[in-house]
Amino acid sequence: MIRVGFCSERPKNMIPKSENTYDVTIIGGGPAGLSAALSSAKNNAKTLLIEREAKLGGILKQCIHDGFGLIMFKQKLTGPEYAQYYINMLEKTDVEVTCSTFVTEMKRKEDGTFHLVLVTCDGIRHICSKTIVLATGCRERSAKQIFIHGTRPAGILTAGTAQYYTNILGQMPAKKCVILGSGDIGLIMARRLTLEGAVVEGVYEAKKDLGGLLRNYSQCLMDFNIPLHTQTTCTRVFGEKRLSAVEVCAVDDDMNPLEGSERIIECDSLILSVGLIPENELAEKLGIVTDKETNGPAADHCHQTMVDGVFVCGNAFHVNDLVDYVSLGAKTAGKCAALYSKKIRKLIPILHDGYFAYCVPQFIDMSANEKKVDIYFRSRKKEDKIQVTLSAGDEVIISKKYVQIRPSEMELLQIDIGEIEKINNWKNGVSIKMEKVE
Amino acid sequence: MNLIHKLNQKLDKMFNGAVHAREENGCVVLTGSLDSWEDIVKAGYLAVNKKRYYGVINDIEYTKEPIPGIRLPDFEDSVYDDTHCDIAIIGAGIIGCSIARELARYKLKILLIDKEHDVGMHASSRNDGEIHPGIDLIKGQVKQKFNIKGNEMYDRVSKELDFKFYKPGQYLCFDDKRLKFISSIARLYWRFMKIPTIYLNKNQLKERIDGISEKMEYAVFFPTAGVVSPYEVTIAYAENACDNGVRIALDTAVTNMEVSQNNIISLKTNRGTIYPKLVINAAGAYADKIAGMAQDRFYTIHARKGTNAIFDKKTVKDKRYIVSTYGMSKVKTVHSKGGGIITTADDNMLIGPDAYETFDREDFSTDGKNIDQILQKHRRTLPNLKKSDIIAYYSGIRAATYEEDFVITEGKRTKNIIHVAGIQSPGLTAAPAIAEYVSRMAYKMLSKSILVELNNDFNPIRKAIPDLSKLNEEERDRLIKMNPDYGVIVCRCEEISLGQIKDALTRSVPCDTLDGVKRRVRAGMGRCQGGFCGPLVLKTIAQVKKMDYDQVAKKDDQSRILFGKTKKHDTKV
Repeated sequence: MIRVGFCSERPKNMIPKSENTYDVTIIGGGPAGLSAALSSAKNNAKTLLIEREAKLGGILKQCIHDGFGLIMFKQKLTGPEYAQYYINMLEKTDVEVTCSTFVTEMKRKEDGTFHLVLVTCDGIRHICSKTIVLATGCRERSAKQIFIHGTRPAGILTAGTAQYYTNILGQMPAKKCVILGSGDIGLIMARRLTLEGAVVEGVYEAKKDLGGLLRNYSQCLMDFNIPLHTQTTCTRVFGEKRLSAVEVCAVDDDMNPLEGSERIIECDSLILSVGLIPENELAEKLGIVTDKETNGPAADHCHQTMVDGVFVCGNAFHVNDLVDYVSLGAKTAGKCAALYSKKIRKLIPILHDGYFAYCVPQFIDMSANEKKVDIYFRSRKKEDKIQVTLSAGDEVIISKKYVQIRPSEMELLQIDIGEIEKINNWKNGVSIKMEKVE
Repeated sequence: MNLIHKLNQKLDKMFNGAVHAREENGCVVLTGSLDSWEDIVKAGYLAVNKKRYYGVINDIEYTKEPIPGIRLPDFEDSVYDDTHCDIAIIGAGIIGCSIARELARYKLKILLIDKEHDVGMHASSRNDGEIHPGIDLIKGQVKQKFNIKGNEMYDRVSKELDFKFYKPGQYLCFDDKRLKFISSIARLYWRFMKIPTIYLNKNQLKERIDGISEKMEYAVFFPTAGVVSPYEVTIAYAENACDNGVRIALDTAVTNMEVSQNNIISLKTNRGTIYPKLVINAAGAYADKIAGMAQDRFYTIHARKGTNAIFDKKTVKDKRYIVSTYGMSKVKTVHSKGGGIITTADDNMLIGPDAYETFDREDFSTDGKNIDQILQKHRRTLPNLKKSDIIAYYSGIRAATYEEDFVITEGKRTKNIIHVAGIQSPGLTAAPAIAEYVSRMAYKMLSKSILVELNNDFNPIRKAIPDLSKLNEEERDRLIKMNPDYGVIVCRCEEISLGQIKDALTRSVPCDTLDGVKRRVRAGMGRCQGGFCGPLVLKTIAQVKKMDYDQVAKKDDQSRILFGKTKKHDTKV
């Protein structure tokens, strides 16, 4: 790993003298970017990894709880450890890394390569790259985006922000809090703040089901006797300077508040874990096509978006629930970007019905050298005893049974392109279906 | 007397004897009690007679619930005790700040006082930023006169004070061809008022505004309409005032006055007693209360609330505009412009505001139904407005008088006060003109007793904090090489650098809060609403101001973000 372009962390003589042209440029140095960079370098591509912050690791830096790496490393790691494993592996490659660097512009040149403008504390820099891997992660939905009304006091913050204050700054963002939304970070923060002596009055979820993983529900809420109130939401906040109370209210199946069920809870903080949105604002200018269901770019099984040479991985693609899945997908993205050569793709869509919240990738590139296809999906509702079938026309490609599927748990279906090619009608695409089985 | 008698007859009929009117010192005074705030406001309007009286003093008691009082700083000290100054300006909104800056042209000791922790905290940062052409104003109104003048002044002031000012013009759309008669008469009136207009047919309108409703038949275009960031303008004025020697007293609330022989002797505040020769009352929603303390009350402020919503920058195409549709509000639009859709000076789309009366002069809360209403209303103009693109919303309070006009005058009885009150829309537009006018008035008043000299060191130029994302590459590169902090991006949504945040913390008007930084350089104003940069801004404030993390606040000391170190937490709440 060669550190470039950042003033405080590198000796001056390490600025590369090269003409700043790369095979693969990865934007974002979180888990997705780290894995993509490693895999790109292993496939002998000249690779640049760009990170906005001063250090690599992305959000893993503040995830000091364990449970990371069960798939990738067969052990329970904390977030910083998981990131460090990758940084250590990256140290052995000649990937160039530039931290505290911000991409302000991405343009596609006439020859199909990309021109990037970077802001660093050394000034503006320009680079060219044959391919781009978007590993820009996601952001948290804010209080305004879920239309929390009332006053505008201090003490309303997202779970990720609360996590930063607690774990990075070592400061308490709350003494008595209400958590709205049962996403994983919300559950993790319920436990974290309880351990630090704060009172978590309860976790409120507007939907019928838990938003996060069952494992987090049991380890973070049940073990600490923190109540989960489903089908209940926060309707108003009070207090002009610091939050003094919130109003919670039961909601019906369509999330409309039920009159008369309002309850006022005194608290100094409202912590939100109400969903994550892939960050692709930068790439939108390149003309990538966004999937309305994932809020991320549509891509094929090589993680290549609808713009040739632009790849996407991690939570910028779709919001994953395990970092291991992020690393796995990014590995494919990095490899395919490294081996990229311009050609016409033979894309077929993976169609799905309304029982799915989403399904990725959106396409399979039948002409790709990468033969392994990992299909991830989430169901719209919690269902027991389900059979998921991938087929083309009447012909079944693969079918798998699940005891239970839940919106908050991502499921994986692996196939090989060879299995699709074996059947007749694949040219119009394949479709994935969900059926009840007894 | 006859007029009061007639008014009492009307009031009796309407409120069954619960309200009584009398004449006192040239004003109409209403007394009694009612349990409906709407009725109290209605009685106030009923009593208006601009030709015969200075104004309406509405003292009708509201009996349904207690009215929340003025929010005061929660501490006392003596920082400004025994301060003697030539002029004390009460209220550091756009009016107070612009007057302070104009007065800085003279060699005077000026103290600019505000109860909040920062300037422009009320209406001045809670409006839509339009620089109005003056479409709905009537000849003879004070606000009409100042609006026309102020509008013309913005070109020059924006250059001097280095704030963003765009002139995209305003489109007033009509969805009914039958209205053409009305609008052509209106255009004659506007010509008489010296407001230029251009007629646009359906196709021209469609060309100019992406996504305009198919129902819009034609539009009248007002090229003199502009847009600024209202808090940017207020801060710019305040900074230039302070650069030129004006002293600013924040967190300072005037709670009483000593008045003797029709002269204000001193102002009692939570930070000591201040002795001014002249007082300028620019106290916004509380101007009548200040007038009361000065024993010179002849008008009443009633709070009219409005809500605006802001959309993600993604929704803004390359063209800027201000657009609204004629007659689309079913509520009476007499006292409000009825709102519009505006591309803000910071490239967001903004919709609103609505207008309704409230008894709480500092009720800045928002409500879901208002957002839904303004959204529904403006969808008539732009049908594609999506609720999911809204990233922020806020409410503000208009400081309206019952006469619905600006009060810009010397005291009626008290000699050393100037009232600059009832400044609601188009106060922002009028501000530069009001400031010039009031500063001359103050100069003349003071000149009667002291020698007022010109301040030869006055520098009208203020340099803004550089907005690096808008600079060309060479310029941006040059600035980063001079100050590497300009190359460290902290707020990713708005592309704000560490250097800009540090700049915001070290200007002439003190700033040490997250909201203060946000209003100066926009860190935290983007789509993530400070989720990512909030903690980084907090860290920077702590570092620059040498504060502990847990001392850093959102807007003032009562709104701190953190509770102190982990591991030390007291579990008993």
